[in-house]
Amino acid sequence: MNDYPVLTVTTFLPLVGAALVFFRGGERLARWISLVTTLATLIVSAPLYFRFAKDSSALQFVESADWIPTWGVSYGMGVDGISLPFIFLASLLSVLCVGVSWTAVRTRVREFHVALLVAETAMIGLFAAANLFLFFVFWELMVIPVFLLIGVWGGPRRVYASVKFLIFTLAGSVLMLVGIIALHKLCGTLDFKALAGASIARVHQYWLFGAFLAAFAVKVPMFPVHTWLPDAHTEAPTAGSVILAAILLKMGAYGFLRVSLPVLPDAVHHFLLPMLVMSAIAIVYGAYVTLVQTDVKRLIAYSSVSHMGFVTLGIFTLERKGVEGAILQMFNHGILSAALFLCVGMIYQRTHTREIADYGGVARTAPVYSTLLALFCLAAAGFPGLNSFVGEFLVIGGAFETGSWLGAMAIWGVALGTTYLLWLYYRVVMGKQNPKLAGLALELDARELATLAPLALLAVVVGLYPECVLSYLRAPVAALLATGGAP
Amino acid sequence: MTLGWIHPGLVLILGAWVLPLLRGRIKRAAMILLPAAALALCVASTPGTHGVVRVLGQEFVFGRVDATSLVFSYVFSLMACVGIVFALHVEDDSQHIAALTYAGSALGVTFAGDLLTLYVFWELMAIASTLLVWQRREPAAVKAGFRYLLVHVVGGLVLLAGIAIHWSQTGSLAFGDMHAFSGGVGWSLILVAFLLNAAVPPLGAWLPDAYAEATVTGAVFMTAFTTKSAVYVLIRGFAGTELLVWLGAAMALYGVVYAVLENDARRLLAYHIISQVGYMVCGVGIGTELAINGATAHAFAHILYKALLFMGAGAVLQTTGLRKLSEMGGLYKTMPKTLGLYMVGAFAISAVPLFSGFVSKSMVVSAAGETHRAAVFLMLTMASAGTFLHTGLKLPYYMFFGRKSDHALGRRGIEPPGNMLVAMALAAVACIAIGVFPGLLYRHLPNPVDYAPYTLHHVTSTLGLLGFTALGFFLLLRNLDPEPTISLDTDWFYRRGAAGFEKWIQKPLARLESGTVGGICDFVIRRPVLGAASLMRRFDGVVDSALVGIGRSTQSLSRVLKTAASGHAQHYGLFMAAGLLALVALAMLAR
Repeated sequence: MNDYPVLTVTTFLPLVGAALVFFRGGERLARWISLVTTLATLIVSAPLYFRFAKDSSALQFVESADWIPTWGVSYGMGVDGISLPFIFLASLLSVLCVGVSWTAVRTRVREFHVALLVAETAMIGLFAAANLFLFFVFWELMVIPVFLLIGVWGGPRRVYASVKFLIFTLAGSVLMLVGIIALHKLCGTLDFKALAGASIARVHQYWLFGAFLAAFAVKVPMFPVHTWLPDAHTEAPTAGSVILAAILLKMGAYGFLRVSLPVLPDAVHHFLLPMLVMSAIAIVYGAYVTLVQTDVKRLIAYSSVSHMGFVTLGIFTLERKGVEGAILQMFNHGILSAALFLCVGMIYQRTHTREIADYGGVARTAPVYSTLLALFCLAAAGFPGLNSFVGEFLVIGGAFETGSWLGAMAIWGVALGTTYLLWLYYRVVMGKQNPKLAGLALELDARELATLAPLALLAVVVGLYPECVLSYLRAPVAALLATGGAP
Repeated sequence: MTLGWIHPGLVLILGAWVLPLLRGRIKRAAMILLPAAALALCVASTPGTHGVVRVLGQEFVFGRVDATSLVFSYVFSLMACVGIVFALHVEDDSQHIAALTYAGSALGVTFAGDLLTLYVFWELMAIASTLLVWQRREPAAVKAGFRYLLVHVVGGLVLLAGIAIHWSQTGSLAFGDMHAFSGGVGWSLILVAFLLNAAVPPLGAWLPDAYAEATVTGAVFMTAFTTKSAVYVLIRGFAGTELLVWLGAAMALYGVVYAVLENDARRLLAYHIISQVGYMVCGVGIGTELAINGATAHAFAHILYKALLFMGAGAVLQTTGLRKLSEMGGLYKTMPKTLGLYMVGAFAISAVPLFSGFVSKSMVVSAAGETHRAAVFLMLTMASAGTFLHTGLKLPYYMFFGRKSDHALGRRGIEPPGNMLVAMALAAVACIAIGVFPGLLYRHLPNPVDYAPYTLHHVTSTLGLLGFTALGFFLLLRNLDPEPTISLDTDWFYRRGAAGFEKWIQKPLARLESGTVGGICDFVIRRPVLGAASLMRRFDGVVDSALVGIGRSTQSLSRVLKTAASGHAQHYGLFMAAGLLALVALAMLAR
């Protein structure tokens, strides 16, 4: 369809950049190579968004090559409307991660950027994968750079946090591997499209659902396997937190949409109630726990549990409004949690404390920062006119149609969400200036402003014109829900 | 959304933000270019419905272009040009942004085809004009700005309520003649909101309060847009409403009476705005073609000559620092050009033949006469006399001539900067041009014009009125001396009321809130929520420990198993033999 294989190039260009950094880069050059690579990846992926046919639910930009014929494994790439927004998100956020790490990372800069670029390859590759084998490869590939990012460049408890992350994730993906092998045995293929059409015996579906659930539930994260998240997000460096919160979490939900719903529809229906209950619990429980956090980063991390609860709730309503709202929320949460972590990271660079008690009255000396933070807090709280409102609105609508108790819990979660975000904002930004902040230059410089600006713009644009994302989702979601449909 | 028609208002609103990025000559050129571009767009607009946006099944019309909206758009954009030339010397960019946003929103109101679009631009006008008051940055201005904002916020809420009720009852947001709904709740609320913006007493006390406190250049903008856009929407929706006839006539007299008592030059002129708008409101109420034409023409002329008058008074304020008539005098020697241009405005407002007021005001008065409303005709004519008395005679006399009071001696004025004179000259030229060639204006009026202002009867009766008024002025000169007094208007009620309300809130209510209500809130909401949250956080720790515990128990198991790898061959041999035995036993038992 194009003069170059867009998806392959987009996926592996960061890897090329990583190799360049590894072999050529000194400390200063590494950052520049990284920046150029991530920008190039964003530019190279442009045809994906502009030449995408929104009315088709089939995979587009398909690239296929034989890989391991004896196992029936091929190298297959393709995107549909569900994966496209996340490729955009991954490419954009990688650029912003490089931007925010410019001065924050001072040790082993070269290795840092290698890890970042490899992570980008894995992220984009996962969303572009058209078969389960490639999906799994990138799923596993993602773990290593993130493990390094947390473990080497993270905070005081980084080793604990990174090992915890590793074990949680691997425990889940091991079971997923078993599931993949079983699926291959049962259906003879790992292609998403083919799998969706295959019919699998009920009993097998239940077990497979459980296997994949293990991996996806840890990633999302769903209650009760969410406890790796606060530690990992808190201890990670800013770029690591952004990748974790914005993309990694979405990989789990994406797995549900790509694997569980189309391939295992009977199992989904069987386990619907527990999934909904767990989602609702995640929303409310996550929000409550967030309320009493004293560490800013931990607060935002726990809020991700609550927000991803919305996502899984929407997905398991199994109707158009809920699913579209859930995917939109995935995109929105990606933007907003990235923005919030960026804000926290920027101010942490100056103050070197994450305790809320050490903050106060930031607005006095940093008005631009305070305005942007206000925008992101309001957006995350679901303020109308900003992006989260639309997603939450759709999800809550879908939730009410499934059961009013679900809708009630969702609304309760929104109310609590507003509370903790605005309370956070009040304690950090408003009021008298905390004496511990005296003499610090808290205001954003041009680079940091440039890092936050695209996210602010997206928050407003998607809020006022959600069609720009929803229009991509219409066709594939309709197909998904039709018969546990094919991509 | 149909392209091909660019909303002139949006050009102003968005274009204003370019100004802080520019400097020097380029900035000044841009400042003039923006309203000029808006004017060009208005002139080039073809009648029709443009800029229609469909959202959620509702149609929002941003560009309803027809004769009525066009003529108002011409004068609004022309006024924006004049005003911005007057303000060229101002360094404060926020004033320019506020002024251009204000003008742009007025254009938005003019072209709005549905109530919600109207509302959005209505509110934007209120906010932008509040900023113009606040930008004088003096304590009196800050307070006046707050009062202005509060009044307009309340007005905006009334409008919103009216729109919401109207929508729920009719299902449509289209903005057109609302005659069919007269007497209804929605209709009444919308009318009240429009009347508030038109400064109809008793809702109009905000006007003199705020306009006298705005910046010199800001006040010039303010005179034009709020009240005249209110007149426009009244023409659109409430033409022929009987109530408006009497309100308008009463308004015309009310403004003039209060102007008698005024000592502050700009406050006096502000009360005159109320008086002149009274003519327009009366014309809208009468509702005949001539009356609507008259209201429109009068609005057009009024914007220009009122701006000129405010520019003159503002120039005096700027160069001498004086605002009170009782302190002014003798400026004709040092500010002749200002005086000359001001007098053009004074003659225009007084409806002297060959000036714009003559050809416009008379249409409304004639319409009253045509419909045999004798009382209204008389009231309007009396107001005319009063207008000439105050704006045409008293104000220039005391401002520029007059006895030299002690204060004036030390404050010699100088002519204001060139751009201000140019702006005044532009407005003066327009006033005279319309007066001498009324066809220029009549051509654009919404209804076909069958009216000839320069009849012998009309000119002589006007000259007679003016002549005797002048005679009365000079005879009663002493009695008309300005005194430094404060006249109480209807805002006394809400200002006193607000002070009392505030006292009540501060003491007893605040005590109740912090004590009783606060305590209940704390007990019923805050404690349970935070308590539950802490509980859940501790539970989360338990969950975490449980999961980490699985890992740790695996570790312990490994440690235990590690002891088995002792390195001694005999232990390995023992284990292997034991294992083999166990397997054989199993195999035998399984049979």
